[in-house]
Amino acid sequence: MQETYEPKILAFLCNWCAYAGADLAGVSRFQYPPTIRIIRTMCSGRVDPVYVVEGLKNGYDGIFVFG
Amino acid sequence: MPVVEQLLGLAGVGKERLQLCWVSAAEGQLFADYVTKLSDLIGQLGPFQPDDFKLELAAVETVLKSTRIRWLMGMDRQITEQENVYHEKMDSEAYQAIVRQAVAEEYEKGMIFQALADGPQSVREIAGKIGLPVYTVSLRLNDLERAGQAEFHEFEGTTAKFVRMAA
Repeated sequence: MQETYEPKILAFLCNWCAYAGADLAGVSRFQYPPTIRIIRTMCSGRVDPVYVVEGLKNGYDGIFVFG
Repeated sequence: MPVVEQLLGLAGVGKERLQLCWVSAAEGQLFADYVTKLSDLIGQLGPFQPDDFKLELAAVETVLKSTRIRWLMGMDRQITEQENVYHEKMDSEAYQAIVRQAVAEEYEKGMIFQALADGPQSVREIAGKIGLPVYTVSLRLNDLERAGQAEFHEFEGTTAKFVRMAA
């Protein structure tokens, strides 16, 4: 069996915009890869650059910020 | 955002590993598209090995927490769109140039600071460890000393050894 590499991605989602968008994507059954682990923040401006580094340190392959 | 991108580039992590996108609450399809596209991009980059970048990531973190960079990031709008206390307004380009310069310097300092975590070392040892010219290390070490983050420790023969102070 061929093993496909699946990246592990940390995503910060704004509670008011992207989180609702992601919710809608789920409700409307749009397909998207199961690679992201979502953290909901009250605002994407609340995401400190240090969190990004922290994420990388903990072994995530990529960090997304959706606002 | 440009600051973090520059830092990730300097650290050799690659700025593609951090992505920022705008998705509104009504754009579920757009969100799904973004995730698909960017996951593919990260997939192409391959897995990230945090252990290979321990020193670099620690340095990046030091930089992002440093007072200088925090000030520069926070004062951006104030200085380029309004004016400073001397009623001087600055061109956005010029300001970004200053920020880039500062980030590069702070990153070198951050690397030295992290390299010193392993105990007293000479300028030459530090330079060898982080791959910077001896002269640059010497300059930045001076900055660190002035800021109270590093200190002269002892002479080993004729070689001066330095230690890091608590941040």
